[in-house]
Amino acid sequence: MRTGRSSAGDRRLKGATFALVAAALLTVVGFPLFDLLRTTGEALADGGASSYRSGGAIAVANSVWTGAAATALALAIGTGGAWLTERVGGRGTKALRAGMMLPLLVPPFVTALGWTRAFGPGGLSDDAFGLTLPGLVGPLGIVVVSAAHVAPLVYLVVAAALASRARPELEWAARSSGAGPWEAFRRVTLPLLTPALVGGGALAFVASVNSFGIPAVLGIPAGFPTITTRIYQDLARSADPAAFSRVVVLAATLLVIALLAVGAADAATRRFEPARAGASHEPGRAGRGSRWTAAAWTYLALTAAIPVVALVLTGLTKAVGLPATPGNWTLANFAEALGGGIWGPAGRSLLLAGIAATLATGLGLALAAVSRRGVAKGMATAATLTFAIPGSALAVAVLLAWGPWLRDTLLLILLAYLAKFWALAHRAAAGSLGSLDRDLIRAGRSSGAGPFAVLRRIVVPILRPALTAAWLLVFLFALHELTMSSLLYGPGTETLAVVTLNVQQLGDLTVTAALAVLLTVPGVLAVVPLMRRERRP
Amino acid sequence: MTALLLDGARVSYGHAEILAGIDLSAEPGEVVALLGPSGSGKTTLLFAVAGFVPLSTGRIAVAGRDVSGPGVHEPPERRDVAFVFQSYALWPHLDALETVAFPLRAAGRDPDAAREEAGRLLRAVGMAGLEGRRPAEMSGGQQQRVGLARALARHAAVYLFDEPTAHLDAATRRAVQAEVAARRADTGAAAVYATHDADEALAVAGRVALIRDGRLVQVGSPAEAYEQPVDRWAAELTGPVSVLEIEVRGGIAVVGSEPSTLAEPFPDDGHHVVAVRPDWAHLGGPLTAVAVESWFRGPHTDVRLDTPGGAIVVRSPGRVMLRPGERVNWTLRRVWPLEA
Repeated sequence: MRTGRSSAGDRRLKGATFALVAAALLTVVGFPLFDLLRTTGEALADGGASSYRSGGAIAVANSVWTGAAATALALAIGTGGAWLTERVGGRGTKALRAGMMLPLLVPPFVTALGWTRAFGPGGLSDDAFGLTLPGLVGPLGIVVVSAAHVAPLVYLVVAAALASRARPELEWAARSSGAGPWEAFRRVTLPLLTPALVGGGALAFVASVNSFGIPAVLGIPAGFPTITTRIYQDLARSADPAAFSRVVVLAATLLVIALLAVGAADAATRRFEPARAGASHEPGRAGRGSRWTAAAWTYLALTAAIPVVALVLTGLTKAVGLPATPGNWTLANFAEALGGGIWGPAGRSLLLAGIAATLATGLGLALAAVSRRGVAKGMATAATLTFAIPGSALAVAVLLAWGPWLRDTLLLILLAYLAKFWALAHRAAAGSLGSLDRDLIRAGRSSGAGPFAVLRRIVVPILRPALTAAWLLVFLFALHELTMSSLLYGPGTETLAVVTLNVQQLGDLTVTAALAVLLTVPGVLAVVPLMRRERRP
Repeated sequence: MTALLLDGARVSYGHAEILAGIDLSAEPGEVVALLGPSGSGKTTLLFAVAGFVPLSTGRIAVAGRDVSGPGVHEPPERRDVAFVFQSYALWPHLDALETVAFPLRAAGRDPDAAREEAGRLLRAVGMAGLEGRRPAEMSGGQQQRVGLARALARHAAVYLFDEPTAHLDAATRRAVQAEVAARRADTGAAAVYATHDADEALAVAGRVALIRDGRLVQVGSPAEAYEQPVDRWAAELTGPVSVLEIEVRGGIAVVGSEPSTLAEPFPDDGHHVVAVRPDWAHLGGPLTAVAVESWFRGPHTDVRLDTPGGAIVVRSPGRVMLRPGERVNWTLRRVWPLEA
């Protein structure tokens, strides 16, 4: 037997996995996007450029400038938070690391709703102090709430870079080479951090531009259109055939903007060396960061906790306009939310999220397994790109490609979920698979176990924490998903998030609040302790 | 003037005391090895001298100037100290030449002069022709040489080495040790060399400081550390050692009931627990024992014997063939008493 070559069985397994991954990628991403671009070409040739004249250009401009402004703000917030947890340190750092991620676990449109109930007219701060945030409903509100929502993405990337790439040691080496604090920052830390800042900024920009929930709540009532709300209004609320060609063109435009942002960031960071994994010292200077840590918690309370509390209180209050004091509390809104037709959508949402999480995790692991060597780089880039594809564009693409056969079925929504969340699961799987030493597998094989036995008894147990975390994350995101669901649902396939949006658009604020709370709180409460357990040690 | 002085230096995080009142000094040109197991506080001690961590109490002076102490905490760049990191800590975005030029630039040298000097230092550590390499394109030994050249470029009064050879193979390790010794002779600077390896500590240092749980247990010449360990822990840290229970009568060691005359007179008669280095005993002589095991090590063979006073490892030159269970004769020439 020749050594150094895998056996025929291994090759067949690998080949089958590869075929499965390729087929799935084509089904959920390749074919739909191809159809979107083909239809866009036809629409443009058909004089669809008028799409931009009939208000489309304004929506594009609005999306881009609010996205850029939110990105700038999110960069400041995320970098400040990362500096606090990775450099200043001190007591409570671990809790703050988890806390910085919390805003991501609240669906964007629930966050936006919460902000209006916390800081808008008739909200908590208005009731208590007569203070409202001017411009909350409008572009300013979109920028601020988007920034708060996407800041965790910047935080994640920059904190990881501060811990591994721009290790404190490298700063110390500069200081003990005679550089002052500013020079050490400018010549060592900043250059090392640049890829993270560019990458985190690109993520934040794409997430802001792709967001539908926030402008739906804060832009539509103000008559401030963005690409995503325009697509929603044209597709879901209009029967005009000309509107559909505008939807297609706008979806393609959004796709191009997102891919340009990611591509530019990728090109800008490619010339940097990859991060070297290394243990980082925990400076842990107790007490030094307490003032700033308190400021960070205050920020999190203001931007994430109080809006959710405001929603809970709104849901508990008899009618909008009454102060949210215990005397005015009632469970009637929750009863109304839970009565009637809620159980169908809730069950559908749980079913869809469960299936999507299971399939996405499996596919993510499969993709990570086949892309481990050789073509790994291209595959990984492709996977990252799918996550950057805007939900609105993806939904329109899936509708174009699979709508003729699957219109008004849950399968249509499931395909869109898989396309969107596959990358999320793949990242987690690839990360843990990358840290899985090949020698562990070799040891299993040389102990007499076949490829499947090694997979079952060695690989899966080692990967289980990461896969569990990936499953939970996809489950939660799918449960909260609104952008694509609101474009793809039909009679009998409404999800809980869609029902909540529809009730909100009808203007029943207290029931909307109750529904939003029901949609958000149980999932977050279930996931947070598990996420904390799966975090890096 | 003393190059480095630590006076009751203490470091604690919250309730955890990492360094407990360290007193240590180094004269110009002296190498002090800091020998201790991992987690003993070696790195923290070096970090305190370099200014990466503040002292809780106590004082550190470099070249006669207080850099840490009550109300004083000079930042690292204002201490006359250079650091060689265990993890190399090379900047991934700079090549070797730029890395070594960094301290020279920070000291105000103009770019061309800094690069010229950096090139000279890199050639001196055997990195000629590799000036354009970035850390990702270097082996561990090459990275450590660049780290060393970067420290040398600082022209400091005190050099701190944090296990600089921990990740290196034996040949590279010897080369780096030789370079450290040569540099020190050139510059007349003091050095503190942290390591967990006894051979290395005894070889590079003029003085050895043993550290355990943040305290210095013993400070002395390599010979003192090897021949006169203060306790059993220190004896085991500084090299191979056996512990025997013997009786001393009039300068003669009695193992079981058999006497062996010691090469150096032993002052106290009575029962003693003693440390015996492998070279303090040899095969052949008045004592009897049972051979248990033997390890051929090239220049010599280590033989483990079961004696009435306990197990002992005896070092014999060349190759010695012994069957386990075979009765052998041996001689005990030298012992060092351990506190109970």
